[in-house]
Amino acid sequence: MSLKIILTLFLIMDSIGNLSSYLQMVKDLDPKRRRYVIIREMLFALVAMLIFNFIGEFIFSALNITEPTVRVTSGVILFLIALKILFPSPTSLRANLPKQQPFITPLAIPLVAGPSLLATIMLYAHTEPSLLVMFSSILIAWAASVLVFLNASSIQRFLTDNGLIACERLTGMILILLAIQRVLEGIKQFVATY
Amino acid sequence: MENSQSLWQLAFTYFLVINPLGNSPLILSLLKDYDFQRQKKIVLREGFFAFIIALVFQFFGEHFLSVLGIEAPALSLCGGIILFLLALMMIFPHKDEGEKKQLKQEPFIVPIAIPLLVGPGSLSVIMLTAANEESTFKVSAAITIACAAMIAIVSSAPYIQKVIGKVGMTVVEQIMGMMVTLMAVEMILKGIAGFINGL
Repeated sequence: MSLKIILTLFLIMDSIGNLSSYLQMVKDLDPKRRRYVIIREMLFALVAMLIFNFIGEFIFSALNITEPTVRVTSGVILFLIALKILFPSPTSLRANLPKQQPFITPLAIPLVAGPSLLATIMLYAHTEPSLLVMFSSILIAWAASVLVFLNASSIQRFLTDNGLIACERLTGMILILLAIQRVLEGIKQFVATY
Repeated sequence: MENSQSLWQLAFTYFLVINPLGNSPLILSLLKDYDFQRQKKIVLREGFFAFIIALVFQFFGEHFLSVLGIEAPALSLCGGIILFLLALMMIFPHKDEGEKKQLKQEPFIVPIAIPLLVGPGSLSVIMLTAANEESTFKVSAAITIACAAMIAIVSSAPYIQKVIGKVGMTVVEQIMGMMVTLMAVEMILKGIAGFINGL
């Protein structure tokens, strides 16, 4: 169960798919500065994830929403984001990244900890009773993404630009599957509780 | 399984989704700056990559699915939706598609092997049938047959174009688009049926 959470979170963070955007953003910086920037940005992302892990329940009750709502919503958002990854359009966020250094946006939020990831965390925090499992899953998935970003240049050299695009497309494809599955589960739950 | 298909049916399904005839004009437009020999070499290599990727997905796709808790209806719907979008692109092509996809360096895996030859559509069809069929060997054999046909057609694309001309290629692509739409709607309906049955 926990492996599912770790893998899902890691895939939605889409660190390998985001590598090319990241490298483009930091290409003028020296390696030391790069490392500092990526760790700072990833810490921002982690804080956002943990906040949503803890206030998820509060949002549930404050907005008076139910679990099927969150399932369908996060599924739909994830679907649209994955569609943008599979069929990139010249007007999307990914194609129009600001050229300056990232500070919180666009790398921490929304590329790594985007709305789909935060909604996913909210959902899992609601369904997973053990705080420890949730917490460790987030940390492991996050650490894996940090490792990917820290070794960005070697990964790019190994996979080449085309390999990165291929990985990005494959991730997009898996994300679409996750999204549809989640929407279906949401509908199923809605029908069951209606 | 009840909906188990024969080897040739499977191979033909893969052949249709991989869509070598419809992809040939696109691939040709991507490679138009290279000379004839180089074109043939690139196309052969890309076809081979596509084959490898399809086989890898046949074996590891299912494993991924079970870890992520993805069920058959979602897979079916996903394949249907993506195929439908691809079919729409085939029936209503963008005029500058060839130019937009053109990379400065020589195409390597992307964009010919992925996503043109084995795109999301064909990958999900392969994953779907691999999940449905009991015999792994049959799926692998069908993939091999379809990919062999695909490599043969794609690598002779320069000749095909000479024979049937640009108009003929357009007609073929339109018809392929219609057939892919049919398959897409069929998959979406199957997904919905599976989902309703599981309710």
